[in-house]
Amino acid sequence: MSGRKNGGMVLSLRDSMHLVSKPENLDESVKEVFKLMLGVNCRRAVVEGLMLTDHELEFVTGVVGFGGILTGACVVRCGASAAIELAKHMTGADFERVDDTVKDGIGEICNMVAGAWKGKVPDLAANCGLSIPAVITGRDYNLHVQAPEFQLQHRYCFGDSSFEVTIVCDGLK
Amino acid sequence: MSEVRALIVDDSSVMRKIIERALRQAGLNSLIAFEAGSGNEGLDFLRAGRVDLILSDINMPAMDGLEFVRELRVQDLAPSVPVVMITTESSEEHVKQAIHAGAQGYIRKPFTSEQVKERVIPLIHME
Repeated sequence: MSGRKNGGMVLSLRDSMHLVSKPENLDESVKEVFKLMLGVNCRRAVVEGLMLTDHELEFVTGVVGFGGILTGACVVRCGASAAIELAKHMTGADFERVDDTVKDGIGEICNMVAGAWKGKVPDLAANCGLSIPAVITGRDYNLHVQAPEFQLQHRYCFGDSSFEVTIVCDGLK
Repeated sequence: MSEVRALIVDDSSVMRKIIERALRQAGLNSLIAFEAGSGNEGLDFLRAGRVDLILSDINMPAMDGLEFVRELRVQDLAPSVPVVMITTESSEEHVKQAIHAGAQGYIRKPFTSEQVKERVIPLIHME
């Protein structure tokens, strides 16, 4: 077994697997970020199948990678209208299209959700780093990870808008 | 409180605005905020300008926040100016690294204006 050394013992994140994959940790992290940084109350929406509506012409996706004792990514994905609404809440400014500020906002939301989520598990907080956020825009794309250790994919609603957050883990020490 | 000049270093322009807003909500009504999008930009600003407070992200491309703080201390660019790290990294190890690099305060994102008030305002009063 591989893992970090702590006081002469080799610990594995697998010992904390029940915490790492706990769905409520993601819900709490998302709600915390939206309440504190955007002043927005969001709620988890339980739905089947495809999550985001097809009428959107453009989607905005923020991706932050995990490295260290856990490898994988946190992905925040929403339609252009939701991304614009989120940026408005973050900055207090109005936006007519997905410009650099809107993309920056989605990247930062993803970064904070990733940080808050890993902060829920002490071993993860101390031994897992975050990448700089990357933002993808477009339509008809999917994120594929071969043989993930686990994946959480939740949809959340705020006002008339929605977004989805995915935590995908492809390596666990 | 008299005029406070703060340098906010973060690669996210949105986050720089949020931090500025939080500082005003924390009571710094006479804030004059300057922005830098990277550690290098922050160092360039400090070579020419004077500030009373520095707030910096850690995870930034090219020069991260820890390196930025080390450099400004080594180059003696802002002696005795308090530095507060504002970052998503929250472990005890990250806090130790920030303090060791030369920061006086640490705030985890997401944060409240109350946390900013508690951890930033006393540092300014110390000066």
